[in-house]
Amino acid sequence: MRTLRILFAKELNATLTSPIGYTVAAVFLLVLGYTFSLTLFVTKVANLQYIFHQMYVLSILLVPVLTMRTFAEERRSETLELLLTAPVRELSVVLAKYAATLTLVLGIFALTLIYAVILGRYGEPDWGPIYAGYLALALHASLLVAVGLLMSSITESQVVAAALSIGAFLMLWFADSVSYLLPPPFDSFAINLSLIGHFKPMVSGSVFLSDIGYFVTASMLALFLTTWGLAQR
Amino acid sequence: MTISSIDAALRDNAPTRATDIPAISAVGVSKRYGSVTALDRLTLDIRRGEVFGLLGPNGSGKTTFMRLLAGYLLPSAGRLTVAGLDTVRDSLAVRRRIGYVPESAPLYRQMRVGEFLAFMARLRGLPERAVAAAVERVVNRLALGAVVDKPTRALSRGYRQRAALAQALIHDPDILILDEPTNGLDPRQIIEMRELIRSLAGRHTVLMSSHILSEVEKTSDRVAVMLDGRLLGVQAMADTPDLESWFLSLT
Repeated sequence: MRTLRILFAKELNATLTSPIGYTVAAVFLLVLGYTFSLTLFVTKVANLQYIFHQMYVLSILLVPVLTMRTFAEERRSETLELLLTAPVRELSVVLAKYAATLTLVLGIFALTLIYAVILGRYGEPDWGPIYAGYLALALHASLLVAVGLLMSSITESQVVAAALSIGAFLMLWFADSVSYLLPPPFDSFAINLSLIGHFKPMVSGSVFLSDIGYFVTASMLALFLTTWGLAQR
Repeated sequence: MTISSIDAALRDNAPTRATDIPAISAVGVSKRYGSVTALDRLTLDIRRGEVFGLLGPNGSGKTTFMRLLAGYLLPSAGRLTVAGLDTVRDSLAVRRRIGYVPESAPLYRQMRVGEFLAFMARLRGLPERAVAAAVERVVNRLALGAVVDKPTRALSRGYRQRAALAQALIHDPDILILDEPTNGLDPRQIIEMRELIRSLAGRHTVLMSSHILSEVEKTSDRVAVMLDGRLLGVQAMADTPDLESWFLSLT
């Protein structure tokens, strides 16, 4: 546990001392602030569904920028050799990177809570979908970070890692579209693989265990594959 | 010598006295990447407290052998032990006993030298109360005082090499593995590094690699020659008046 804490502190420090995290946060909040103001003034409806959908899309585009350096940079600079020859388990390395990157993403998401506060102050929003929406976003972020780490662990090029991550996220997003081309039971498998299919019900306030299970299982699978890949050397 | 390593030695019918267990023992160790054999059935014992030089051209398997010892790679065949501990089965225990400096002397660029050494000390399991003293010890030993507050990315090649060696010594390991430790250093730095390595002998077992004959000649007690992943010969430096001729006769 101490090793995990040491590695987590190192990863978080690396993230916070890099300009990448701040740039991503700035772009994220600028675009969302613009959409929030526009939507609120045009519709005059106190809900955050538009914002949640926009956060979903922006995450798919911006999380790879945060995860791309995690392993690729360590591999390129050969510090991965230092890390993996220290008395440290591969799982600790993976979990520390996952936890630090997820903390940063959730921190950026937390800054958007100001929109909920504004709605609460000047309107009467339905809080159920707002709570469920943030739960969906947290689970979505977990999956994106885990898959992003997996992609970063298989290359030493950060650009390749980011491109692979975005490709994987887009394929997961549109997985249900392929179902029309597939025979049973593969069509339902493709539908169930869809990222948006599990995200959408939650942001409208319907929380199903199956949706939570999808995000948790996919995150754990990606983390397992990353750890397994590191151990195969 | 820990109880577990003595147990391991007994279990494997190794000599029963702790001092008889070689610091490093390789029996038929191979490493293959698909059809490419990077290391071919290497068998070798390295004694406690000696400086052992691995000599060979680039691609001869020196780095692969060191990476296998350090636990960065897993052998495809054979058995490799460090102080009687199996590098695969007892991987974490082995890694606690070794200090390893890869060829490129990698450092975390965003950290300052002192911060980097403290991080490595914690990672290698030193208790929090011992970290500051351990950092001070290696900073003094490797004359890093002038750069301890500098970011590692601002270091010269000589200081980089010293900082990398400092992280390997931070937990006072039994065994030091140094991959091309004089690579890229200027003549003065080479002499300093050579003296440093010699000063580590006795207290630590040092395994170092080089493709430069004179480096191995001036630092090692024994030397092994490698070529194309194979071990061609092992000789004590005291019994080798002309290393160059011996090397040429083998290769």
